Order: sequence, then C-alpha cells, then structure tokens
Amino acid sequence: MTSPQIELEHVDKHYGHFHALKDINLEIGKGRFVALVGPSGCGKSTLLRSLAGLESITGGTMKIDGEMMNGVPPRRRDVAMVFQSYALYPHMTVKENLTYSMRLKRKPKEEREKAAREVAEITGLGNLLDRYPRELSGGQRQRVAMGRAIIRHPKAFLFDEPLSNLDAALRVHMRKEIRALHDRLGATSVYVTHDQVEAMTMADHVVVMREGVIEQAGAPLDLYDHPANRFVAGFIGSPAMNFVEAAVTEAGDAVALEGYDGAVLPLGRKLEAGRRVVAGLRPEHLSLGEPDKSQFRVGVGVVEFTGAASYLSSAGEPELTVFHAGRTEVRPGETVGLTIAPRHVHLFDPETGRRVG
Amino acid sequence: MRKYVLLALAILFVAIYLFPLYWMYVTALKAGSEIFRFPPTFWPETLHFNVADVWVRLRMDRFLTNSLIIAAGTTTIIVAVGTGCAYALARVRSIWMDVAMFTTLMMQVLPSSLMITPIFVSFNHVGLLDYPRLAVVLAQAAKLLPLYIVLCRTAFMQVPRELEEAGLVDGNSRLGAFLQIAIPLARNGILVTAVLVFLLSFGEYVYSRSLIGERALQPATVGLQSFMGPNTSDWSGVMTYSAIYVTPILFIFVLLQRRIVSGLTAGALK
Repeated sequence: MTSPQIELEHVDKHYGHFHALKDINLEIGKGRFVALVGPSGCGKSTLLRSLAGLESITGGTMKIDGEMMNGVPPRRRDVAMVFQSYALYPHMTVKENLTYSMRLKRKPKEEREKAAREVAEITGLGNLLDRYPRELSGGQRQRVAMGRAIIRHPKAFLFDEPLSNLDAALRVHMRKEIRALHDRLGATSVYVTHDQVEAMTMADHVVVMREGVIEQAGAPLDLYDHPANRFVAGFIGSPAMNFVEAAVTEAGDAVALEGYDGAVLPLGRKLEAGRRVVAGLRPEHLSLGEPDKSQFRVGVGVVEFTGAASYLSSAGEPELTVFHAGRTEVRPGETVGLTIAPRHVHLFDPETGRRVG
Repeated sequence: MRKYVLLALAILFVAIYLFPLYWMYVTALKAGSEIFRFPPTFWPETLHFNVADVWVRLRMDRFLTNSLIIAAGTTTIIVAVGTGCAYALARVRSIWMDVAMFTTLMMQVLPSSLMITPIFVSFNHVGLLDYPRLAVVLAQAAKLLPLYIVLCRTAFMQVPRELEEAGLVDGNSRLGAFLQIAIPLARNGILVTAVLVFLLSFGEYVYSRSLIGERALQPATVGLQSFMGPNTSDWSGVMTYSAIYVTPILFIFVLLQRRIVSGLTAGALK
C-alpha cells in the first residue's frame, strides 16, 4: 500500500454546542473503498461533507494527497460527490449535467462531447444524453449522478447514501455495479451508508461511527469476527447479535447465562472467576439440536420462515433469536436445545461495553 | 344542488367585484348623451370609439412614458438589490435572519400616505426633488423591496441546497453556484415577482402625486386624476383613458397567472 490518500488527524466539528465529530483519526489508502457506517446522527455524513469541503472542521487537520485541506473550498479539492437525492441540475440535459464540471474549466466542446460519450458508455446512459433529469427513472438518475463524478477523474469519490432512494432489487444491483466501477477505475472511494449490509458487501474497509466517534474500523469480516465493543457487535450482522447477561464460572473457563437455567457455555479461554459480563451470541452461530444433547435448552416463542431459512425466537427473557439455514419442524411451544462453539461466544463488559477476553 | 348554489354565489360575487371594470369599458364605448341617460343602458346603443382622439387630446403618450420610466426604474433597482438579499434570507438560518425578516415585513405594512411626509422632507433636504421621477423610483423601490424579498425568498427556498453543493463540488465558486444554479432554478419566481412589482409601480399614485409637481413628468395615474373633478363632463374621455391604461395591465396579469401555475408544477426534483 502506498502513502495514504486521505489523512484525518484529530478532526473535530462543533455546531454551536453540538459536538458532531470528536477526535476523528482516519487514514484512507489510495484506491481503497471505505464505508462510513452508523445510525443516523452519528456524524458519518458530516465527516463526508467535511471531506468535500461543504462543512468546515473546527479542529484537527485534513489532508488529501498530502496537501492540507483545512479551509480549502470544494472546487480546489478535486473530489467528486454523489448525493443522496442525486442533485442533478434540473435545468440541464443529461449531457450538460455530466459535462458541467468541464464547462466550468472551459474545456473545448469536442473534448466535452467525447468525455460525455465515454462516460455514458461506462454507465449505460448511451441514448439518454439529451433527456432532462425529470424524464429519467430513479436508477437512471442514479447513473447520471455517478457519471457526473466519473467524468472528472477525481482524487476521491464521495458517496452520500447514494442508494437509499432506490427500491430493494435495484439497490442490490447498483451495489455490485458501484463496486465493479470502483475496481475498474481504481479511484479512492468513501461511501456513507446507514445500511451495514451495504457497507459489509461493498467496502474493503468499514468505519463504524456513533455519536461523532469512530467505534471501530477494519476489514468487514474482522468487524464481524472481532467486534471491539457491544455497539459494533450489535450493529454489524443481521439479524442482530443476541446479548445475554452472564457471569464467569468458578473455574474461569465458562460463562453461565442468566435467565437460562443450567446454560453454561465453555469459552476455551481463562477469565477472572465470578466476573460479570454480557455474552454476545450471533443468531447464525447458535445451532439447533436435541434438548438433552445440547449446551442449553430454550422454549420456542415464534418461528418465521423465509423459504431459504428459518428464524426462531425464544419464549424466555431475554429473548434469543436463532438463525437456522433451511427449514425446521420445530413449532412454537416446544423446547429445543442450542449449542454454540466457544470461539463464537463474544464477551463484553456490562458497564463500558468493551470486549473482554 | 349545493354545488350549483355555490357556483351561483361565486358568479354573483365576481360580477359585483368586476362591475366597475365592466362599467369603465362600457362607458368608454358610449356616446356623450347616452352616458347621462337614466335609467342607464348596460350595453352601448351605438359603439363610439374615441381611442385615438383621447390619446392625442389628453397627451397620453407623455403620461404613459413617465409611468413606464417609473415602473422600469423601480423594477430594475428592486431586482438588482433584492435578489441577493432574498437568497441570503433563504439560505442562512439564524435568529438574526429572523429579526431581519421581521423588520422587512414590518416595513411592508407602513402605508405610503404615511411615509410620504418624511420622504418628502428628506428628499427635499438632499435635493432629490429636482429629479422628481428618480425620487419616485427610489421611494417606490423602498416601498416594494420587502414584498419582492419575501416572495423571492420562497422561490429560493424551493431550490434544494444540494444542487448548489453539487455545483460547488463540481468546481464552481459560491457566486458561480448562485448565478448558474440558484437563479436559473428560481427564475420563474423571480420573473413573476418582478412583473408584479412592475405592475404595482405602473399603477403607483401617492408618491408621484406628492413628489412630481411638473405636469410633463407626471405618470398616467396622476394625469388621469387631473381630468376628474366635480364638474367633469368628459366621462367618455376619462373612461377611454382608463381603458387604454388598464388593458395592457390586465393582459400582462392574465399571462402572469399562467406562469404562476406552471411555476408551481414544473421542475420537481424527485
């Protein structure tokens, strides 16, 4: 990996008394696809807009290609942005939308025409160049917005929830298309989304944010396998991880789940005996079995089928969700046994939420 | 049934409301003796066109030119000054902007007839009364500027901020984004408001009456007034004058209505 293309050091952003970004440190390597993900209001969009220069940061430094960007207006940053609402200029045709940046740079007409045709080819807008945005479908508008960014060959692409206005099927399709485009162009991309599935599937580096703080950053599967805290553990993965209060046993190598009598899960690692923890169990890691041949037993409350898989919710408190690939004969009211491998038992501190052991 | 009652009522009220206009046109077309007949006729027995005669006799070219100068001057000043102001008020949200907005609106409710005395005194001090039409343009611009700002602000508020931001990221300056993106998209609103300001200034009376003494510089509204009095007998002339003056305004207004409707439906983003 070469030197980072985007460097953020101790970045702070205040809106009056509201502290939107708190001491953000982030390095993004050239050609990487980084997703900023988190619940609404976590500061991910603010961070992206700060990168674009649409918001000014109130502390820290921001560099693109080693150049200091604090206070530099958007037009001198050489980044392209794709907006959630697409933000196509309604009074311009598709071609004019695509080549607007080139017109601002006073590029000759032939060059603009050529670039517009190339981009239309890449984005599949071939025969729509003379239409107005209002005459296009949602997916087509999305492509124009992408094309407007591509035509500039910018140092970085900034995406602000670009797929959230599309319907589910198209979204899955565009997800792949954007990723393929990224691989083809090899440009650095920063992608903001609140959808962790989008982040996990598209990015090679995921940054999870909450309340203006980076909770964890890493490769998608790393976040899934080793969440640094309870928030990340609950945010990454669908359906969400189950959390059960528990205590480490006398021997220190297992945890006893509260609310599930006799549920003792071996850990395969040593912890301080008697320590109180929160155990995180992913629904897909709990396997169904015969009650007397499993680690613990739960009563079944609800069973849902999607066709490919089944979701069981336990009747007890706290509720456990179990993901079972394929179908099951289990019906509500019955008792099932559950087993989980020691390496899949995540433990968190009840107060700080940090990962322990 | 209920529908027809309401329709009948609506027609009745419109008829009452538009009666003076109708009477103006009808009287303009009547011959001298028919105007004073009692009971009056609601449609002239003999059509009597005296447009050309009135135009020349009452020196309408001079009056209408003055009206046009005042209206055009006022509109130019207001559009030049007010557009940027409306934009700023639409984009920046803060308590001070609300204060500025409130103050602007308050100026709008002060009646001309009240404002004319201080305006007259101060204009006299700085010697503006030597250029009476300019004085009227300035006073009228000050009067209508708040209205223009308030209406244009709404037009700018309907332009999504993200479009300008896209422009900024695409390489435009702040001013460039305003001129190339915000203004073209708020164009309908700006245009309609500007025409409204023009029409209101074309019909301005109070300031012209007070600030312009010289007859040759007076606009059509003041000119018309000077032909009317208790002893006036040339009703046909006065009504023809009025018709000539009002018809273009009505015509523009009908066109303006269409634009308002199309302005509301076109240019939706999503």
